[in-house]
Amino acid sequence: MEITGSRIPGSPTERPKRRPRPKKPRDGVFKQVRFPHSGVFAFSCFSMVGQEGISFAVLLMTAHFGDIVAKVCECLICRGSLTFHEIARFTELPHGQVKNSLLVLIQHNCVQAFSVPKTVGIGGPSRVSTLYMAIFDNIIHRMRFSKFHHIVKKDLGDQCAQLLEGFLQHGRLTFQLLYGRASELSGGKAKQVDVLSMFNKLVHAQYVERCPGVPFLELKSDDEVSSARKRSKSEETKTIEEEAMIAAAPSDADRFSGIIDLMTDSGAVTNDKEEESILEVAAGNKRKHEVLEMDEEIQKTINTNEILWRANYEKFVYCLKKKACVANARSRFGDGAAIVLEALMESCDPNIKNLNFVTSSMNSILEGVRGKPGGVSLTLEHVRAILEQLGCQLCTEETGVLYSIVLKDIIESCKNDEAESLILKKYGKEAYRIFRFLTKTGRFVHTDQIIETTFLEKKEAQKILWKLWMDNYLHMEKLNLHTGGRSEVFLWKVHKELVWQHVLDYMFHAALNISQKISEKEEARQVSVGNAEAEKLRKVRYILEASLLRMDDAIMLFHDFST
Amino acid sequence: MSSNGKLPQKRKLPQLPENEQKLYNLILSKESMGIWTADMKKETGLPNNTVTKALKSLQAKNLIKDVVNIHNKAKKFYMAVEFEPAKEISGGTWYSDGNLDVEFINILRDQCRMYVERFKVATIENVWQSIRDSGVFNTECSMQQIKEIMGSLVLDKELEELNSTGIGDFSRIQPGKKCYKRYKDGGNPKEQGILSSIPCGVCPRLTDCTPDGIISPKLVFISINGWTSRCQVS
Ligand code: SF4
Repeated sequence: MEITGSRIPGSPTERPKRRPRPKKPRDGVFKQVRFPHSGVFAFSCFSMVGQEGISFAVLLMTAHFGDIVAKVCECLICRGSLTFHEIARFTELPHGQVKNSLLVLIQHNCVQAFSVPKTVGIGGPSRVSTLYMAIFDNIIHRMRFSKFHHIVKKDLGDQCAQLLEGFLQHGRLTFQLLYGRASELSGGKAKQVDVLSMFNKLVHAQYVERCPGVPFLELKSDDEVSSARKRSKSEETKTIEEEAMIAAAPSDADRFSGIIDLMTDSGAVTNDKEEESILEVAAGNKRKHEVLEMDEEIQKTINTNEILWRANYEKFVYCLKKKACVANARSRFGDGAAIVLEALMESCDPNIKNLNFVTSSMNSILEGVRGKPGGVSLTLEHVRAILEQLGCQLCTEETGVLYSIVLKDIIESCKNDEAESLILKKYGKEAYRIFRFLTKTGRFVHTDQIIETTFLEKKEAQKILWKLWMDNYLHMEKLNLHTGGRSEVFLWKVHKELVWQHVLDYMFHAALNISQKISEKEEARQVSVGNAEAEKLRKVRYILEASLLRMDDAIMLFHDFST
Repeated sequence: MSSNGKLPQKRKLPQLPENEQKLYNLILSKESMGIWTADMKKETGLPNNTVTKALKSLQAKNLIKDVVNIHNKAKKFYMAVEFEPAKEISGGTWYSDGNLDVEFINILRDQCRMYVERFKVATIENVWQSIRDSGVFNTECSMQQIKEIMGSLVLDKELEELNSTGIGDFSRIQPGKKCYKRYKDGGNPKEQGILSSIPCGVCPRLTDCTPDGIISPKLVFISINGWTSRCQVS
C-alpha cells in the first residue's frame, strides 16, 4: 500500500474545516494520531465526567433548586473539593447565599463535607479546614426518583413507597420528621408503630440507610489540603474525596440496623462511636483553632445529634442493574436465561459492597427459579446448561458448590449493543460491521485485514474508517514502514474506555436537549390557549419525559453500572 | 472467482532479443507477485519506449500477461503466464478481475444463512457439507471460505456464535463445540438500541444543537411522530 503524505486515499475531499488534519509523522515511529478532538473532562468524586455531563447536572440543579444553588454546585463539580472561602471567591456570591446553597445541597445529599488539618505557614499552627465536594452521581440520581419509587412500590407496596417519597423529596430526615410527614399526609391517622414498622422494612431491605457523618481526615505530614486535592488516582492511592467518602460512611451494622426502640433511638444520642469520636476530634480541633464562622454554622446544622436517614441510592442502582442484566439475558438467550439469572442475583447474599460479583448455590437458585412464573418447567439440567451459557463460574467452598457470575461482563455486552446500534443508525451497516469487528478484536488492525474480514471495497472501507475516526469512535495509528517515509500503513482500534466515555458524553448531550425541550413544552403549555393545544403539548411532553427516562437507562449502563 | 497457487509448467522458450529476454527474466523472477512497469524500468535501466515495445512483443508471444492489482487499479502489473496472481495482487478468492465479487459473496451468505435457519443450530462443517451437496455453485467452496462468510454474518448480527450446550436445539451437537444460531431477534439490531429509539438519540444535528449553539433545542419545532419524533429546523 502506498500512501503519500498524511492523506488517506479515498477519504472525502471536503472535510470539516474545524477538525485537525493528521500531522505528517516522523519516519519509523508510531504517529500520535489518536482521537482527533477529544473533549475536556472534569473530575468529580470517583469518575471522569465530560463537559456534557456537567452541563446536564447543572441543568438538573437549576430546575430543582434554582440558579444560585446550581452555581455553587457547578463550581464544586468543575473545581473539585473547595473550602467555603474558595466557593465564595469563585462564584462571587455573598457568604449568606453560599451557606444556604451548601445547606440545601448537603440536605439533598448532593454535597459531602469533610474536614482536614491545614498547617498555616512552615511549622505554624494547625487548623481544621472544611472542604465541600459535589457528589455528581447523587445529582444525576435526582432524575431517577420515579424509577426508585417504582422499585419500592413493586417490592414493598404503596405505603412503603409513600414513605420513601419523603426521603426523595426532602433528602435527609430523622424518623420523627418522617413520621410527622406521614401523619400529616394521612390526616393524623398514621400510627407511629405502623410507620416505624414500614420504615424498618425499608431499612432492612437497604432502600434507606443512615446518613454519613462529616469525617475528619488525618493527612500524612506532607499532605496539606492543597496538595491532597491534587493527589492522583491510582491503584494504591485513593483520592482525598474517596477517602472522605469511606470515612464518612457508617459501618454496615449501623447503616442498615433500623430503629429497634423508639425511646432510645429517636432521642438525642447517637450510638455511632466512630462518628462520635470523629465529631469529638473535629470539635476539639474547632476549639483549638479558628474555624470559619460559616463553616461552623453549616457543621452545626449537619452535625445534629439526631440520627438522620436517607434513600440508599446504591441499592436502587443495584436493582436497576439487575433489571438491565436480566433484560440482556432474555434478549440473548431467551426467557429461561432471564429467570435463572434473576434467581441467581436475588438468591445471593445481598452484599451491596460488591455489586459486580454474585454467587449462589444451586439449591438457592433452583428455589428462586421455582418461585417465578415460568420457572417450574425448568429442570435441573436446563438450569445447569443456562448457567453455563450465561458464563457462570463454578467454585467449591466449604458450604458446597457455588455458581458465580461477573455482572460487569453482562454490562459490557449491553454497552457494546448500545454503541453498535448508535453506529448502525448514524453510519450504516458497513460501519457497523467494521465497528463490531474492531470491538471484538480489541487490538490494532491493519486496514487490509479489516477489508478482508468485512467484505468491503477498499475505498468504501477507508471512507468509513476515516469518518468513524473523525467522530472519535476509532483510534488510529499511522506507521511508517520504510525510513524513506514512502510506505505508510494505518492501524485501527476501538479503544473501548475512550469510546465509552465519548458515547456517555453524547448521551448526556442528548439528555440535556430533551430536558430543554421538556421545559420549552411546559412553558408553552402554561401560556397555551384552548384545551386542544394544551392537550397536544401535554402529549409531547409525555413522550419527551418517557424518552428522557429511556435515555437515562442508557446513561446508567455507561456511568453507574460499571462500578 | 479466481483460483490461486497454480504451479507453473516448464516450457521451451523461443529465442528472444536481448532487451525482451532481460525483461522477461525479471518478470518471471517476480513469480505470482508480478511487477509494475515503473519498477521494471528502474530495475532494468531500459528506456521507456523500449520497455513498452518489449512488453507488447512478450504479450504477443503469450509469455506474459497484464494483471489487475486491487490495491491500485491504475498501475500496470505484468506477470509470466505460468503464474496466477498472488492474494496480495488479486485480493484473494473473493475477487474476480480485480473487483470484489459481490454477487458471489451475497449468494454464499444467503445459502449459509438458509442452512443455519434450516438446522436451527449448525456447525461450520454442517453448513459446508450442505453447500457442497446442494450443487448451487460450479466451483467448490473451501471450508475457509465458509468460515469467512459465517464470520461476516456474525459481525452483522444475523448469526450468533455459541458453544453447544448439548441439550434442546443443541442436542445434535457435541457439548462445547462451536456452532451457529440465528440471532434471537432475527438479526435486527436496529431495534436494540435505546438511543436510536428516542428523539435526539441519533439526531444528525446533535453536535450543533445546544442551548447556545447554531441550533437551540428550545427553538426547533419537534413533530409528534411517536418515539422517533424529530425536530424540524426552519
Ligand atoms: S434538532 Fe431536535 S432532535 Fe435534533 S438534537 Fe436538537 S432538539 Fe434533539
